[in-house]
This record gives sequence, structure tokens and C-alpha cells, in this order.
Amino acid sequence: MSEPDVTDDLTVPWDEDPSDLYEHAPCGYLTTLPDGTIVRVNETFLTWTGYRRADLIGQRRFRDLLSSGGQIYHETHYGPLLAMQDAVYEVAFDVMCADGRRLPTLVNSTLGRDLEGRSRVIRTTVFNATERRGYEQELLAARRAAEASEKRVRVLQQIVADLAAAPTEVEVAEAVVQAPGPAFGAAGSRIWLVDSDRELLAVRASTGPDVIALDDVPLSWTRPVAEVAQRGELTVVGSIMVAEQQFPELAEEMWASGRRTVVLLPLTTMPTGGPHAAHVLGVLAFGFNEERELSENELRVVRLLGHQAGQALDRARLYDDARRRESRAAFLAETSRALDEIPRLLPRAHRLVERIVPEVAEWAAVRLHVGPAGLIADAGGPAPDPDRLAERVAAVIASGVPSLRDEDGLDPDCAVLPLTARGKVLGTLSLRMAADRRTSAGEAAFLGELAGRAGLALENARLYEQERAIARTLQRSLLAGQLPADSRFVLQTHYQPATQELEVGGDWYDAFLVDSDRLAVAIGDVVGRGIDAATTMGQLRSAIRALASKETGPAGMLERLDQFVERVESARVATVAYAEISLSSGEMTYACAGHMPPLLAGPVGPPRYLMDGRSAPLGSRAGRTHRIESRIRLLPGSRLLLYTDGLIERRTRTIDRGFGVLAREYGRLRDAPLEGLPAALADTLIGRDHTDDICMLCLAFGTDERMERSIGADPVQIARLRKDLRAWLKLHAVDEESTDAVLLACSEAVANAIEHGYRDDPFGTVNVSATVTPEAVEIRVADRGAWRTARADVARGRGLQLIRQVMDQVAFDRGGGTTVTMRRTRREAR
Amino acid sequence: MSDQVGEEQVRFSKIGDAELVTLAGEIDLANAPAIGQQIVAHMTEAGAVLIDLTAVSFLDSAGVRLLDALVGDLDDHGTAIRLVVGESGPARMTLQLCAFREDLLATDLERAADDVNE
Repeated sequence: MSEPDVTDDLTVPWDEDPSDLYEHAPCGYLTTLPDGTIVRVNETFLTWTGYRRADLIGQRRFRDLLSSGGQIYHETHYGPLLAMQDAVYEVAFDVMCADGRRLPTLVNSTLGRDLEGRSRVIRTTVFNATERRGYEQELLAARRAAEASEKRVRVLQQIVADLAAAPTEVEVAEAVVQAPGPAFGAAGSRIWLVDSDRELLAVRASTGPDVIALDDVPLSWTRPVAEVAQRGELTVVGSIMVAEQQFPELAEEMWASGRRTVVLLPLTTMPTGGPHAAHVLGVLAFGFNEERELSENELRVVRLLGHQAGQALDRARLYDDARRRESRAAFLAETSRALDEIPRLLPRAHRLVERIVPEVAEWAAVRLHVGPAGLIADAGGPAPDPDRLAERVAAVIASGVPSLRDEDGLDPDCAVLPLTARGKVLGTLSLRMAADRRTSAGEAAFLGELAGRAGLALENARLYEQERAIARTLQRSLLAGQLPADSRFVLQTHYQPATQELEVGGDWYDAFLVDSDRLAVAIGDVVGRGIDAATTMGQLRSAIRALASKETGPAGMLERLDQFVERVESARVATVAYAEISLSSGEMTYACAGHMPPLLAGPVGPPRYLMDGRSAPLGSRAGRTHRIESRIRLLPGSRLLLYTDGLIERRTRTIDRGFGVLAREYGRLRDAPLEGLPAALADTLIGRDHTDDICMLCLAFGTDERMERSIGADPVQIARLRKDLRAWLKLHAVDEESTDAVLLACSEAVANAIEHGYRDDPFGTVNVSATVTPEAVEIRVADRGAWRTARADVARGRGLQLIRQVMDQVAFDRGGGTTVTMRRTRREAR
Repeated sequence: MSDQVGEEQVRFSKIGDAELVTLAGEIDLANAPAIGQQIVAHMTEAGAVLIDLTAVSFLDSAGVRLLDALVGDLDDHGTAIRLVVGESGPARMTLQLCAFREDLLATDLERAADDVNE
């Protein structure tokens, strides 16, 4: 067989009809006039486009068959190119078919000319490019999809990066809620987080117009959000119609918000769709304003977002838990410390509730069954309903079990915890929790711990109070004993407990008659505080009373106390100042065991410290315990002051200065009445706020012959003046009749000064001084007010008349005020 | 101290038709007006009045003024009055010094009651 001659057509074994070839060629043929009018068309073209031959021949131009875009291209490119080049190749046109379809084609055309070069005919082949165009469009779509996917991936990467940096649930929520917009073109989104303690979904963040107009949703609801959270399945509601079938409420909301597609994505720690429902931590909802079908690829990315967000939430929850645990631990530790600072019960209870509000609760109350009325400390507000609270409190006291919930579940508005210590319910701690605190399992454990610590702290405070009360009672009973009284001396004592210190101190004093002529006075300070110190001082005091005798004397007393201390260890290094005074001779023997030196003010001259007769504190091992005593004679009118170091020592002052100030003040008050003198000294030296106990005993030997008083211009004060004056007169054994007379005259004179002298001056003062001699009593009443003639006032006139009647001599001196001097001769001298 | 008058300082009771006012403690410028008000508030149409001053430990001119006014008022109404002051003591001293009529002063409560109830 020879090779076929390719220059010739092969003869096919069947009849190849050229016209059949033309009509049914695999491409369309068109022959047109130069203006495009179709003059010939093959069957293939007609089949493709659906036109009848008669519709086209002589009726239409080629360009009439093109889409409007194609017509423009025909005009601007195809026509001019054909005219220039006589041929155009592979021009893409969409041919409009008879039924309106577009047929994508590729068109080649040649222009035939006559001998003169005039355009004669255009021959056009039309290739069906449907497949090719589809392919091109696929390529384009694929590229767009790739771009969109890339963008989603970028958005997702950014979200993942943001999530990694978000340490709290709220920050995670805020990062996640931003994703659907850029990633999928969503119009708005909102995120709910599961609050398993409260069994609900709580809205944490949203962006754009609301997707679903819902706030917190209980998990048990049959709302779409709750269902998604329960099932853990991604749910796409593609249209309102779908929503109407599945979630009617959602459909309404979609109508209202203009959303046409809503995606509900569970946020899970595990990829969704597994055999076991994954742990759902929240739900992200986002919506589109159009009906939007999400591609598989997009859905994959959506699920990935849910998974990433779920993991981030899980992580954040762990962080949150760790932080919460840490802050709870810190709070508990700090609370214990703060309570320890305050030993007393009620202040401690107040401190407790003040720490709890507002950090833990908005309102807190401690109720304790202490004493007949109980004790309540509360803070914050408003308090819960009193009936409900009372019911709860009663139940908790009866059961000893915390009450944190009611029939409907957790009840953060009225939580009641028992305060127990040593297996006993002391009372309750009631709370109305802050809105952002939850009565979760963790919180319940925390509250339990808090109540436990509080119970112990309050029980300790209660025991402390009890002991303190016992010690105070003991001390008071020891100090309040009857002091001896005699016309030959006057005693005045003062005890002032420290304002800061809560336990009783060991300061004490005592005075007693050793025999009819011998007065013993003692003051001391036991080391330590509280019930031990109070007991020890009682023992020492009793020992001194038992040991005192005419033969013992002060030095002997201290020697015996040293022996006593060997047996009563708690009295070791206690200090004592002890003196015995002969009431007939005024001779005083004294000894100081490590105690502050007594201060003596004689009838004349400045006061002085008695620095002799000194030795070391009782039972001292390092000090000089050879006991010595010293003697001094007290002149009538002398005043002896025994005191404890609280009077002298002040942080802001050296002890030497303290001694100086005390001596000066004591001297200044030389003529002041003995009553109130120690208190006045304490006021001047220490003030109201002192850190140590102060104990003082002042002995006036051979009583004062002079009394002075200064009172305000207030009638009420006259009674007090009378009381002092009566006592002073009694001390000097002034007869009853004279006493009544002097009291009446003095009252009338003072009333006169107040009613007349100070009629216009309520702050004026009236000075009263009284002196007594064996023969007479003399009273002087002076004011600095205006004098008004008394005759104008019958009543006052009667007052003055009374004065003249009861007193033997009366003199008025009016110069810069009025001074009335009155004298009454005592009965003995009449 | 205040000018409040305690129950223990002014008490009211009856002996027969007579209204008995028992005063106690100190009566002076500071509390006399309040005591006076209390007595006046209580004196409504009494047939006779006895004022027992035996427990009064002090009486000044303001107290005298009060009693003087009281006696004046009751005399105007024709109501019998006696001031019971005991044999001695601060009240008697002051009232005697002020020269109160002897017929007003009594030493014995029961006898004074018989006097005014006749």
C-alpha cells in the first residue's frame, strides 16, 4: 500500500456531499453582505441558536444577534479590524439565541472584495465556546474562592493570634465576636457564654446590629441558641422560611432585624460532629442580610473558628479560675490578718462585714448569740427581705448547714452560712452577693472557708471578751475596796485604763490602817496584762495587808515580799512603793522597790520627789535587793502623791521632762481641792488618749484649811459646789448649824452672781474660796459681772437678806465685778 | 446635773381631802421653777394642801419664792395650806429666816392634816 497523497482529498468510503458538509459542519457558517445582513446560514448555527432560516436571511444583521456588550464590541473593534485587515480571528461574542439564552462563541470572519477592492461579502465561522467559557469561568471562580478562602484564613489567623493573647473570657468573647464580619461578610454577631453555675447562656459581647434580640438565655429553654448549646451542632438557618419551620421565634427576629440567614455556632473544646457531644462553652451567632449559602469550605472554617474559640475560652476559664482562687486565697489571708488586729468582739464583727462588703457581697450581716440580746453587725445594703432572712437564719442555726439556695435553685440574694467554732454554732453570716459574684461551687467553697475562719476569729474574740470582763471585774473589785477615812487625813484615788490597750493592766493601789495611829499606803505595778496580772496584783495586795504590822516597817515589808515572790512567780519584778504614816506625829517611813518616787508637796515650797529608800523591784536577781527605808515628817497640809509610770511616760516626752511637768503641775494645783486632783493631773499630763494605765493615790495629811472652786454661770452647778463645800466643812468638823448657814449664804451669793452679775454673760465664772479656822468659816464669792442694785428685785433682795441673817459679817466689794466676803463664827467660839 | 425634777423629788398623794405634796432633796435656783410648775399642774380644786418639806436637805431663796407664791395663790382661793418642816433642819431654818407665818408651819404631818381637814 502506497502512502496516501496528502495533497489530494482522500476519498471516503461514503458519499461526502459538500452541501451536507456546509450545513452540518461542526461550526456555524454565516455569509453576510458588507453591512452584515445575513444572506446565508448553515443548519448548525440555526440548531445552536434556535432561529429559523427565514427569521435571519435578509432580515437580520449579524450584529443584531449579539448581546448588547457584543454589539458595542462589534462596533468598536470587530468592524474596524475587519475593514483594515480583511480578517478577524477568535473574537468572543455572546450570541443571543431565539429563546433568550446566551451562546458563548468564538467568531472568525473574512472579508471578500471585488476586483476594484470594494467589500463584497463577509464569511463568518462561529464556534461554540460554551465549554471553554465555562472552563474560564470556573477558573475565575476558583481564583475568587481561593482569594476569599485566603482572606478567611488570614482573618482566622488573626483571631487565633488575638485569642492566644486574650487571658480572660470576656477578652476571648470580644475577639471572637469580631471574626464573622471580615471572615464571612456577616452583618452582625453576638456571643453567649455558658454559665454552668447559673445554668444559662450569658451574653458577653456583640457587634453590629443585633443578630438576635436576646439577652441571657437559660440553658433549658427551647430557644435556638440554647438548643445549639445543648446539641453542640453548627446550625445554619438559610432563610426565614427555614427558620419558620424550625425556630419560629428566630424567624420573627430575622424579620425584625432584616437578617435572611443566621448561623449559630457552638464554641467547643473538641471539633464538632464527633460521636460524643463536645463540651460547649458558648454560642456565636452571626447573620447575613441576604440569603446566603455557605460553601463546604466556609463551613469548615466556621467550625474551625468555633473550635479555636472554644479552646481559647477553656484556657481563659482555667486562667480565670486560677486567678479567682488566688484572689480568694489572698482575701481570706488578708481577712484573717485584719480580724486579728482587732481583739474585741463587736469591732471584730464590724471589721468582718466591712471587709466582705463590697468585695464579696453587697450586703453582709453577722449575727451572734452572745449575751441576752445577741449581737448584730451589718454593712452595705439593701438587706434582703427580713422574713425570708429570719427563716433562713433560723434554719441554719438549727441545722448548722449553709443555706445558699432556695426551691428555685441558687439564691445569691440571701445566702446564710453558719459561724461555727469547736463544733458549736455561734451565729450566722448572711450575705446578699454582688451581681458579678456567683454562688458557684467554687464560690460556695470559698464562702464556707470564709465563714469557718470568721467563726473561729469571732469565737476567739468572744473568749477574749469573757476573759477581759473577768479581769476587769477582778481588778475593779480589788481597787474599789473601802478606803480608810479619818479626820486627820483624806485619800483620793484615780484609776484610768489605757484607751488603746484592751486588756487590764497590773497597776494597783491600796490604803489601810495598820493600827489606830498608823496609815499604810501602797501603789504597785505587776508585769504583764490581763487576767494573770489582775490575779497577781490581788495576791500582792493581800500579802501586803497580811504582812503589815507595827514591827514590820516598809523595808521589812519589801523583804517579805521578796520571799513571797519566790513562791508566786508571776509577781517577780513587780514594783511597789509602800509608806506608813503616823497620824499623830506625821512621821512617814517609806520604801520603793523599783517604783516611781513619791511626790510630796509640803504646806509651803515647791513639791519634791522622795528619792531615798530605793531598791530593786521585787524578786529582782540583777538589782540591789537589800531593802532600805527612809523617814520624813509630814507637816499638816502636806500632800503625798503615789502614781504609776503611765502618768509620767509618754512617747513624745523624755521621762525626765515627765517628772518635771508632773512636779510643776502638782505645785500649781497645790490649793485645788483634793477631789478631782488626780484626774486633773492625768488630764494635763497625758490627755484623754493614753497608751498605758494610770493609777494614782493622793494623801492629804492634816486637811486643807482652804478650799477653792471656780464654777460656770449656771444655776445647776451650785448644787455641786454645795456638795463639795458640805464635805469640806464636815472634814473640819464644823457644826451642823454653821454648816447649814454657810451653805445657804454661799448658795445665795453665787445665785446672785449668776442671776445679776452674769445676766448677760452665760460664760462668766464665779470664784469661790473658803477658809476655816478653829473660830470661824470665811467664804468669798467673786464674779466679774455687772452690778445691779438688788433692791429692784424683791426675790434677790430676800437672798441678800438671808446672807446677812445667817452670817456674822458680810462685806461687798464692787470693783470690776462683785466680791462678797462672809464670815460665820463657829458654835464652839460663840 | 439638770433642772429635770425626778419623781423622787416631788410626789403627790392624798390625806383625806387634802392634797399632799412631798418634797425631797435640795431645792434651789436650778430646780425651783420646774418643781413649781409640777405642783401647779397638779393642784386642781384641792380642798386643802399639805407640803411636806421634812426631807428637804436644802432650801434657798428661790425655793422660798416658790412657796411664797404658792401660799399666796391658795390663800386667794381660800384653800387651806400647811408647810410641814419638822422641829429643825435646813427648810425650817430658811423659812423662819424669811419670817413665814407661824400658822403656816407645822412640825407634824398628821396634826397638820387634821388641821386642814376639819
